[in-house]
Parts: sequence; structure tokens; C-alpha cells
Amino acid sequence: MEKIILKDSAYSIKKGTILGIKQMTESEKLFEIALEGGKRLDHEPGQFVMVSVFGAGEIPISVSSSPANNDSFDLCVRAAGKVTNTLHKLKAGDMIGIRGPFGKGFPIGILKGNDLLIIACGLGLAPLRSLIRFVFDKRQDFGKIHILYGCRNSANMLFLDEIKEWRKRNDVYFESIVDQATPDWAGKVGLVTTLIPGIQIDPDRTFVALVGPPAVYKPAIKELLSRNVPERQILISLERHMKCGVGKCGHCQIQHLYCCQDGPVFNYEAIKHLKEAF
Amino acid sequence: MGKPKVAFFDFACCEGCQLQVANMGEILLDILDIVDVVEFREVMSEKWGGELDIAIIEGSITDEHSVERIKEIRKRSGILIAYGSCATIGGVNGMKNNFDLDEIREYVYGSDFHFFPTKKTMAVHQVVKVDYSVIGCPVYIPEFVEVLKAVLQDIPYSVPDYAVCVECKQNENVCMYDKGVGCLGPVTRAGCNSWCVNNGNICYGCRGIVSGPNEKGAHDILSKYNIPLDLIKNKINMYNKCREIDQNAQ
Amino acid sequence: MQDKQYAILWKENFNNFISSLSKLHKLAAPVFKGYNNYAFENVRSGQEIALKYIPTILPPKKFFMPVHETLLEYDFSRGLKADAVTEYEEIILFGVHTCDIAGIQCLNMVFSEHPQDQNYLIHSQNIKIIGLECNEYCDEFANCHLMNTHLPDGGYDIFFTDLGDYFIVHINTQAGEDIIKDTGFFMSAQSSHLNELASYREKKQAIFKNELPVELDLIHDLFDRSFESRIWDDLDERCLACGNCTNVCPTCYCFDIRDEINLHLTAGKRYRVWDSCQLGPFAKVAGGKNFRTTRKVRQRHRYYRKFRYPMDRFSRYFCTGCGRCSRSCMAGIRLKETLKSLIGSKEGAKA
Ligand SMILES: Cc1cc2nc3c(=O)[nH]c(=O)nc-3n(C[C@H](O)[C@H](O)[C@H](O)COP(=O)(O)OP(=O)(O)OC[C@H]3O[C@@H](n4cnc5c(N)ncnc54)[C@H](O)[C@@H]3O)c2cc1C
Ligand code: SF4
Ligand code: SF4
Ligand code: FES
Repeated sequence: MEKIILKDSAYSIKKGTILGIKQMTESEKLFEIALEGGKRLDHEPGQFVMVSVFGAGEIPISVSSSPANNDSFDLCVRAAGKVTNTLHKLKAGDMIGIRGPFGKGFPIGILKGNDLLIIACGLGLAPLRSLIRFVFDKRQDFGKIHILYGCRNSANMLFLDEIKEWRKRNDVYFESIVDQATPDWAGKVGLVTTLIPGIQIDPDRTFVALVGPPAVYKPAIKELLSRNVPERQILISLERHMKCGVGKCGHCQIQHLYCCQDGPVFNYEAIKHLKEAF
Repeated sequence: MGKPKVAFFDFACCEGCQLQVANMGEILLDILDIVDVVEFREVMSEKWGGELDIAIIEGSITDEHSVERIKEIRKRSGILIAYGSCATIGGVNGMKNNFDLDEIREYVYGSDFHFFPTKKTMAVHQVVKVDYSVIGCPVYIPEFVEVLKAVLQDIPYSVPDYAVCVECKQNENVCMYDKGVGCLGPVTRAGCNSWCVNNGNICYGCRGIVSGPNEKGAHDILSKYNIPLDLIKNKINMYNKCREIDQNAQ
Repeated sequence: MQDKQYAILWKENFNNFISSLSKLHKLAAPVFKGYNNYAFENVRSGQEIALKYIPTILPPKKFFMPVHETLLEYDFSRGLKADAVTEYEEIILFGVHTCDIAGIQCLNMVFSEHPQDQNYLIHSQNIKIIGLECNEYCDEFANCHLMNTHLPDGGYDIFFTDLGDYFIVHINTQAGEDIIKDTGFFMSAQSSHLNELASYREKKQAIFKNELPVELDLIHDLFDRSFESRIWDDLDERCLACGNCTNVCPTCYCFDIRDEINLHLTAGKRYRVWDSCQLGPFAKVAGGKNFRTTRKVRQRHRYYRKFRYPMDRFSRYFCTGCGRCSRSCMAGIRLKETLKSLIGSKEGAKA
């Protein structure tokens, strides 16, 4: 057997250094990562990277920061199992591995010039924050912007500092809602879908970016369709088990599509007939 | 920080799994390089009795005395590993649960059986919290090494939740069913690299059953191959009897 | 008249040819394992080889995509060092049937598609293939005529057809020509030999017949209509989710990627290992959601990955008709029967 080093294998990793870590909630941390040698990640909002925690494994994580920032990028990670828990134990200065970015993100070229309705449910805000920050960076390129954010309770809210800023802006309509009210919560209570009927949108020129756990898609899409948003303008990001990120390992397959390459962002019209999608 | 302190303890079992460790050869030296074994009846006479980083428990819990002893070990151990089928799923000792306890005691101890208290056989996790499990009768040493590394890395180890057939096919064995012999591979959890079949034996199901096994499908196969259902049931019982305690607890 | 594309090897020289070839190259060929089972294993002499064999337990994919394969090695004892690697060796496979050659052609397409998989491609570049034609069906499980894989169609270096006293050998590549030259023992083919080959192929047409009452071109349509078919429920009841059918399939290539660290926790490797869409955890994500919970939808997925999905991506079916999935299924799930049931079902009848 002869062993050789592969220069551009699909499984090569780029070295990433953790610049900073911020505890956001009990189970979510925000990691700021810089690639070795000042390399740029060059991602689109909605794309993901494969993150290696050496010895524990490799997992898909959405990029949470705007592509406009080139020096570093953010990953917002929930401690959910083996790799994510190990990642949570790392400290600033520790090294991780990065592959990617992979997949199709939100089609920025198409979104430009239109209104945006961004609906985030729980951890769905992680990939959407990339879009939100990007849109704010290029605010004049977009029309009206609505952001609806729902999560279990106030203790689960991500990016609280930024949300405070978003609320203050007068060029964006932001509303949040929780499933379970706690004494500190003075806002609305219910599912994020219940906010959809109340907002002022022009369905023809509104593109929706919707990300949340699998259970949220059906009811949310139903509401959006009843507001006459065209199916093709509803963009959703699907989660699947992923191992390779390059359309080979088969784990992420949704019928004939590979979530890692054809997605994770899909427009509803293109996948509504797929029985395995929802 | 010094090397983690490790001790082996045996309860009701044949100690075959500890022997596996004593016989593991070269890799044992590597392990001794990174941990400090302070108690191990199979190979050393000293007793430590102090705080432990890692306690490795072999055997199942079959009487009141063992219950107290395992609780005491749990208290002074950082990590507790259930080691071998007896400890993790009750194993062969679980067969006792097929019988009325008094009947067994009478059978084993004669008419004085009342002087010999006994309990239904329990796996270790049915008595104290278990952090890691190494299943198998005996344990498969490469898997034990993987568990040990997971302990040292402080990450979970999960036993594959699919059939032994997966590994057996990957090893390109001639299937026992082609030889006309019933094999428990299709319903037994993998992770042993189909060790028994590689060595010409059938899979005896010592690693416990996969989740959601297709019981009807399995019955159909057995009848097609003319394998008496009882034979397989007995084999399953041989290792998996304690599963009922978990199921009743749910 | 001589034909440069063809050579012949008299049977009495076969053992000499194998011995000489095995001295020059590492050589693997089908070997009898008992109980009607065969496997590709290293051989040094012709006597070890089973010239008449039914498809091996594992297909030749095990050489192109080993069960376990290291993808990355890393060491963080002093800073982080991480290299993508591959380990390969040159090997010649003797006696590969046409169905298995078709399987390799499928995998070649998958792994050359962007983003390429260099590990696979490097193995592939270092493997030479000597095909061997089937004169008759291996057994009742094969559907190679339906899949049109019962005749040679490229994908090999040289190809053997047994014509009684001798093999006629088609030379397809430079590497194939080198094998012929380096081993000796071959004679050039005369037109009489080619005529014999032609009449053999004609006779073969009478032996290999479409195994099912359906045209190949219509199968993907059949699958378009059959997603909700009740046939899948029947499979749910019988399948044990043992994964045999996918492990033995020449065109199944799903894999898991795992990390293994050393005992000192300073260095490790990342490797891939064959995985199967038939296993419960395959499509499960953290938090417990499983996108294919039942054996029914997993079986359906397997069939669609053979007869429907690859049509969109690669414009070909990913079933080679080798029959391995049927042969290795303890539950008696038989591909031909499943297809037959689909054809006969109410969805199938619409055709
Ligand atoms: C496109 C995409 C983007 C994602 N973005 C984020 C994000 O921004 N933040 C975040 O916290 N999480 C994100 N996830 C989910 C995250 O990948 C899982 O939580 C993570 O893989 C769990 O790994 P684990 O080892 O900690 O969990 P375990 O339960 O121990 O999982 C074991 C293995 O199964 C696989 N696996 C399990 N769950 C998933 C999953 N949901 N997706 C893919 N593979 C899985 C992984 O290979 C994992 O190592 C994303 C998933 C996808 C598919
Ligand atoms: S021998 Fe047993 S474990 Fe191996 S494939 Fe056959 S049934 Fe499965
Ligand atoms: S070989 Fe048969 S029983 Fe096993 S997973 Fe495949 S279809 Fe199911
Ligand atoms: S993650 Fe491997 S195919 Fe998509």
C-alpha cells in the first residue's frame, strides 16, 4: 500500500482558530473563527461549513455572519450531541477544521430590489442572521424588510444585543414571540406563524426566508400562501443528516436531491411535490 | 494532572471479561501508559479503596450485598463503566429471572435456601447511574479501547444501533443462513465487528437487540429456514432477559 | 486475417497465464468460499480461481472504495497538522462479470462528478480489469438482460470469452495490451475465431431473455407513478433492516465518516466506512428527528436510488441486474418480484 497526501481532496480541511466565544443562552454559543493565513471564507448567506472538532467528528453548521465581513466568520452552535458538546468545551485560541462553504444559500441576486419577510424559528435565526446582517450592510438594495422571530421562551432568545438594535431601527419591522411566557416576558405568546396574518406586505414583491425546525414549515407555508405570496418566493432551508457535504455520502438525500449541494436553501415551488421534503 | 486512577470490580459473572483485558497483549501496555490501575483482582492482590477516576464494573447485581457494594463504588468514582454483557444487559445471569426466585434458591441451595438471600438479576444501570457501557460476552477489546478513549476525551460513546449483519457482510463472511444455521446477527447490535461469525460461530446475541427489531419478519425467516422459534427465543433469553426490567420501568 | 483487437488463450495455457500475471502484479479473482458463495481474493495460481461462479458476496467495489478508508490524518501534539491522504495499490482484477463492470462504470460516474472524490479516483486509476463473459445465467436472481448488462460494453482493459477450448480476448486499452504482451501465452486471433465469437453471441441471445414483462425505458415512468404504491408496505413487514442488500450492491456507495483518535489523544484519523440507507439511524439528526423512520420508506428509497433518481443525474439506471440484493436477503425480498409487483399493481397498470 502506498500512501500519498492529497492536495485538493474534497475532505481536506482549512485550519480555523477560535478568536472568541460568547455564551448566548444556556445551550448556544457564538464562535468567531478566523482561517489560517487570513484566508477568506467567501460564503453566501444560507450556506454552511463542515466543522471538525478533532477526535470528536465533523458536523454541518450554518455561517451566521455577513459575507461583507472578510476577516472572520461566526458560527452559532447549540450543544446537541457529541461533536457540538465537545466544541462547546473549546476555548479561544483553540483550532478547529473547516471545509466549505457548501450548498446553495439565499439567492441574493434575485432578492435584491424586492421586499423581504424573514421568519426565524429557534435556531433558524443562526443562518438567517447571516442574511439579516448582509441586508443591513446593503440596506439600500432592498425594499421593505420584516423580521419575525419565534422561540420557546425568552431564555432561548439568540442574539439579544442585536435584536435590541433591530427593534430600534426604523427601516425594518421586527417582531418576536415566545411559545411559553415567563414572568420577564411582556411580549406576544404563541407560535411564530400567528404573526403572519398581521403584517403589512405586498405579496407580489415579497420574498420570504423561512428557517426553523421541520415542524414549523407546513403551518408557516400555509399562512404565507393564504397571504398570496407566490410559492416560488418562499425560500426555506432544510436540515438533514450530513456527512460529506459534497453529494456523495447519501445521508442528506431528499428523494433525488442532495440537501448539501442542491440546498440547504430551496424555493418552495421546486420541492413542494417532494413527499420526503416535509 | 496525574494519570487517571482506574479500578476493576467484579460482581456476578465469570470474570471472563476481565481476562480479556489481562490477555489483550500489546495494547494493554499502551493503556497502562496512560492510566494508573489501582485495583484489579484478576491480576493484582492490593486493594485501593480510595477515590477513583474510572471504575470498571463487571458482572450483574444479584443480591442485597452487591447493591450496597455497587452504590459504595459509585460514590467514590468519577466515571463508572459497565463492562461486559452481565453488567450492561444482565447477560446470562438474567436467565434466573425466568424462574420463581424461591424455586431457584431451593434448586441451588437445597432446603436451607432461606439463608441465602437473592434478588432478581439486574444490570448495573438498573441500580446505579452508568456513564459508559462496553457490551459483549466477552467484551470486544477494540471496542473497549474506543470506549476508554471516549471516557478520556469526555465524549459519549454510543453502541451502533444496527445489526451485526452489517459488519458481517463487510467482512465478507459466508452467511450462516446460507449454511442453514440460525444466527442472531440480524437482530443483534453491531460493534463487535462480527467477531463470532468471523471465527466460524453464529452470533449469540450477546450485545443486546437493535431498537425496533422486525419481530414478525424475523419469525417468518426462521420458519422459512426451518429453525425452531424456541431455539432462538432461548438464545435471546440467554442474554437479554433483564431487558424486561427496563421495559416495565418505561 | 488477424485482428489486433483480439487475441486467444488456449485453455491449457490458462494456469501459466495466471501464474505469470500474478508474478508481475497483485492479482485478485473469484474464489470459492463454500455453500455456493464466492469472493474476490488474492490469487497466485489458476487453480484457486473459480471460472464458473455466481456473483461474489461483495462486488469489486470493495477495491475501488474499501469498506474502511482513511480520508484525513491529523496531529495536534505540536500545533495542528492535518493532511488529506489516500492509500492505494496497483491491482489487477481477473474474472469480472459484465454486470460488475457496469457497477464500476456507475461508481466512476458518481465519484468523478464535481466535487470529485480523489480517493476513489486514485484507486480506480490503479485497478486494471480483466472481464469474463457469462455463457449462461448465474441463477434465477439475475436480471442482467433487462438491465442490458449481460454483454460487454467497455469499462475493462481486456475481456475474456470462453469458447470451449480457448478464450477469445478483447483488448480494450494500452494497459490491456501490456498484460497480453508481458505474460506471453496469447496468440493472435484469426477470422475463424471471430466467427466463432459471433455465432456464440448469437446463441447467447436465445439463453438471455428479458426477465420481466417491461421495457427498460419505461421503468423510470413506472417509478414516477409508484411512490405511494402498497408494494412498499409489504416490504416493510418483511425487511429486517440488516443492510445486506446495500452492502452487497455494486452501485450502493453511501458512507459514514468517523474520527478515531490515539490513546494519548494527540493524533488521529478520519475515515469513511460503508453505510446503508436501510439502517434506522441513517437519516436521523440531533434532537431525534428521523427523516426515514420506517423500513417501508427506507426500502422505497433503495429502489428509487436504483431505478429513478440516477436517471436525473446520470441518465442511467443504477441496477446492474447482478441479483446480489435478492440472493443475500434473508427475508426473501427479491428485486425481480418487487418490480413484477409494481408492474402488476394499479399504478403500474396505467402504463
Ligand atoms: C445545513 C445545516 C446547517 C446547520 N446549522 C446549524 C447551526 O448553525 N447551528 C447549530 O447549532 N446546528 C446546526 N445544524 C445542526 C447540527 O449539524 C447538528 O446539531 C450536529 O450535527 C449535531 O452533532 P452532534 O455530534 O453534536 O450530535 P449527535 O446527536 O451526537 O450526532 C451524531 C452525528 O450525527 C450527525 N448529525 C446529527 N444531527 C445532525 C443534523 N441536524 N444535521 C446534520 N448531521 C447531523 C452528525 O454527523 C453528528 O456528528 C445544521 C445542520 C445542517 C444540516
Ligand atoms: S452470518 Fe449472521 S451476522 Fe452474518 S450476515 Fe448471516 S445472519 Fe447476519
Ligand atoms: S437484505 Fe433484505 S432484510 Fe436486509 S435490509 Fe435489505 S431488504 Fe431488508
Ligand atoms: S452530506 Fe453527503 S451527500 Fe449530502
